Amino acid sequence: MRYLLTRVGLFVLTLWAAVTLNFVLPRLMPGSPLDAALARLAASGQQVTNAQVRAIEAQLGSPHGSLLSQYGQYLSDIVHLRFGTSFTDPTQSVASAIGRALPWTLVLVGVTTIIAFVLGTLLGAFAGWRRGRRSDAVITTTATFFGAFPPFWFGLLLLFGLAFRLQWFPISGGFSEGATPNLSWSFLGDAATHSVLPGLTLAITTLSGWVFGMRNTMINTLGEDYVVFAEANGLRERTVALGYAARNALLPNVTAFGLSLGAVVGGSVLVEGVFGYPGVGQLLFKAVTNHDFPLMQALFLVITVSMLVTIFIVDLLYTRLDPRVRAEGGDAS
Amino acid sequence: MNRSYPRPRRRVALAGAVVAATALAVAGCTGGASSSTSSSGGGSSVLTIQGDAGDPTLTENFNPFATTQLGGTRLMYEPLEIPSSVDGTYTPFLATSQKFSDPTTLVYTLRDGVKWSDGQPFSGDDVVFTFDLLKKFPALDTTGVWTQLASVAGSGNTVTMTFKQPNVPFAATVSQVPIVPKHAWSSVADPTKYTNTKPVGTGPFTLKSFAPTEYILAKNTSYWQADKIVPTQVNYPAQSSNQSTNQLDVTSGKFDWSYNFLPNVQQTYVDRDKQHNTFWFPPGGTIGLYLNLTKPVYQDVNFRQGISQSLDRATIAKKAVNGYTDAASLSGLILPNLQKWLDPSLENQGVVKQDSSAATASFAKAGWTLQGGKLMKDGKQATMSIVMPTNFSDWVAAATEVKTELGKAGIDVTLDLPQFAQYQQEIGAGTFDAAIGGYGGSGNPYTDFNNALNSQFATAVNTPTVNNFERFKDPAVDQALATLAKATDMSQQQQATYALEQVMFTKVPIVLMYYGGSWGLFSTKNFTGWPSKDDPYTLPTPYNNAVLLVVTHLKKA
Repeated sequence: MRYLLTRVGLFVLTLWAAVTLNFVLPRLMPGSPLDAALARLAASGQQVTNAQVRAIEAQLGSPHGSLLSQYGQYLSDIVHLRFGTSFTDPTQSVASAIGRALPWTLVLVGVTTIIAFVLGTLLGAFAGWRRGRRSDAVITTTATFFGAFPPFWFGLLLLFGLAFRLQWFPISGGFSEGATPNLSWSFLGDAATHSVLPGLTLAITTLSGWVFGMRNTMINTLGEDYVVFAEANGLRERTVALGYAARNALLPNVTAFGLSLGAVVGGSVLVEGVFGYPGVGQLLFKAVTNHDFPLMQALFLVITVSMLVTIFIVDLLYTRLDPRVRAEGGDAS
Repeated sequence: MNRSYPRPRRRVALAGAVVAATALAVAGCTGGASSSTSSSGGGSSVLTIQGDAGDPTLTENFNPFATTQLGGTRLMYEPLEIPSSVDGTYTPFLATSQKFSDPTTLVYTLRDGVKWSDGQPFSGDDVVFTFDLLKKFPALDTTGVWTQLASVAGSGNTVTMTFKQPNVPFAATVSQVPIVPKHAWSSVADPTKYTNTKPVGTGPFTLKSFAPTEYILAKNTSYWQADKIVPTQVNYPAQSSNQSTNQLDVTSGKFDWSYNFLPNVQQTYVDRDKQHNTFWFPPGGTIGLYLNLTKPVYQDVNFRQGISQSLDRATIAKKAVNGYTDAASLSGLILPNLQKWLDPSLENQGVVKQDSSAATASFAKAGWTLQGGKLMKDGKQATMSIVMPTNFSDWVAAATEVKTELGKAGIDVTLDLPQFAQYQQEIGAGTFDAAIGGYGGSGNPYTDFNNALNSQFATAVNTPTVNNFERFKDPAVDQALATLAKATDMSQQQQATYALEQVMFTKVPIVLMYYGGSWGLFSTKNFTGWPSKDDPYTLPTPYNNAVLLVVTHLKKA
């Protein structure tokens, strides 16, 4: 019980710190929403006049009031879950913008994270069990090879090869042009085709992390006395590998898995960018480049809160998975 | 990354751009034969334009005064007249003619028989209503017409605009205000937040459907010049905000008209469908080296001349934009677009060649001498810090070459590459030393000169301005600008323009370097009649009113 209370207290404290940082950081960036709007005009080679600047200033929302009063307003808005309207597009509420982007990211990044975790962990366990043998060498070399690719670069390669040259997959977007998101089979199929390449990119480039994490702890665990004892007792090879070694080696990977699930909400800015995927990552990129404070704050808030919540859940889960944590008061290795 | 309509792909150097460029080059070499689409005869009557960036998706907004309007809005609303961005020649739309009865009174004669797309007749009331709307809601007045206008009044089929002071060239801005219907807009409570999802316009197209990744316009069959409109439908698919992905989309032949800087365009674009793919990269503005004229060293015109004479502009243009455009004329005119305004007495059309001995002489007049390869005065070497946005790769390439060339002249040059916002702040506030920046490109010499030279924009350091960053001040030049603003006939205008060209040429307020391009890529598979070198009726920019000029010029392929 005391363990739970400490966890909850820490959770609230971290949340406050994150929320405050979230307020401060965007305001430390040089420039303003107005400068960003001017940048867009300038980039298009359009003439900018002082009159235009005044009109744009009036069209855009922009922060007003002292920093302290802005902060107070900000905290009260968060408590009431009011996120306001976007600065760049005053006709749009921040909540609806995020609501539209979130499902895409949750499905794409969520599914690929789970696939990469399951597949990577299984491969890692296998490689660890067969350490030093040929299959271990094949798995680790392949994983190193693909893990070394920066995801956006690997994405560009896939894009160029499979979408541009062979035309097997669409080049960009989350669904076909002109389609409106709905839950019909034809739309879901269309969305699935569009998600193959970004999904593949994310899964392949993140796989190696799971493989190595699992393989290395597996090898460590295999050296433990109880594994040797199990082998000496003549238990079946599979029982030893999965029931004794892998089960214990899994713990660090579960922590990492929890963290990556928390990070799913943040999307993958670069990969979503390359594939023009309509997810949170792109939205975040757009918000940052346009100095769209309300959108940025709401996005960071969603990201940090989901991160903190998953960490909290993983912490609690640990007490079940590993009784040592409960006894020693929270050293989650 | 950015979302309001203008989405010209300025050569933003995202990490991936280089990668894609390489990939594209490879595609150009190997792919031409196998994957180029052959003409299947006939062609489609659907026009596909590379338009707004949807990141992640498009937001429906057809308010013609909003900075976040979608590009297709310009095909649904018409202005009175559209001046060509090449040389300012007017094409009439809702007006049939315009005339200054005196330098402060502009009279438009309106077109008869024009109907709004809901069937109601268009009249002068709509024009007056539109201008009054901009007066009432300054946030809508994005071109600042009410900074110059005193009143707008209609009578019969004419509308009279009265200016606060003589400003003949400002007709270009007034003419381009999109006109909205009084009957539909008078009931809109707050037009600044109005997204206008059921647009009623006079333009050649009406909204057919909107989806987050594409909106479609259908031909307005009751359009007053419907017989001249060939496309039956215009598709605006959302484009990716990633430049590499965009370039793949463009080269895969998805668009009839797109706007992109492509490296090695012959291989990467034209060769992919030799029969149909064409491009036109006319100069659309001038890129120059801005020197902060509040700093004593740059106040000396001889020093500025010395810098100008030290530069090899042809090489700079080659490094910056693959040589797609040329070295700029120091007259301040974009040539050949504005050829008819060029002062014939300017030697070599105002293009200055690199001449290091002349530069040395100019520097000497300013008191600087070359000692051991260093340009020295009072025991100190001349230094210069040039600021530019880090992601404008062409500007960075130009500045790198400038650094090399001025280095040879003995000046210690450093480059400063912040984010755009920081750059904008520095040049706006006048705290920069030197900067790369754009100049001109309005198609109107007065506007270009006025923005660059009028001392009213030359605010004190730390007071932001968006024009005349270099902070040039000269009462004689202000006088010349006022003379040009008043001139209503061609020969008066020419004389006044010549005087300003001489100022640009001899006083070097901005060290102009090369022309910035306008990157039009076209396919003639479905339509012909695109603007080109032989028929330069507008710049190939799909993100402004040029789109109306182009659509009314298209012919069936």
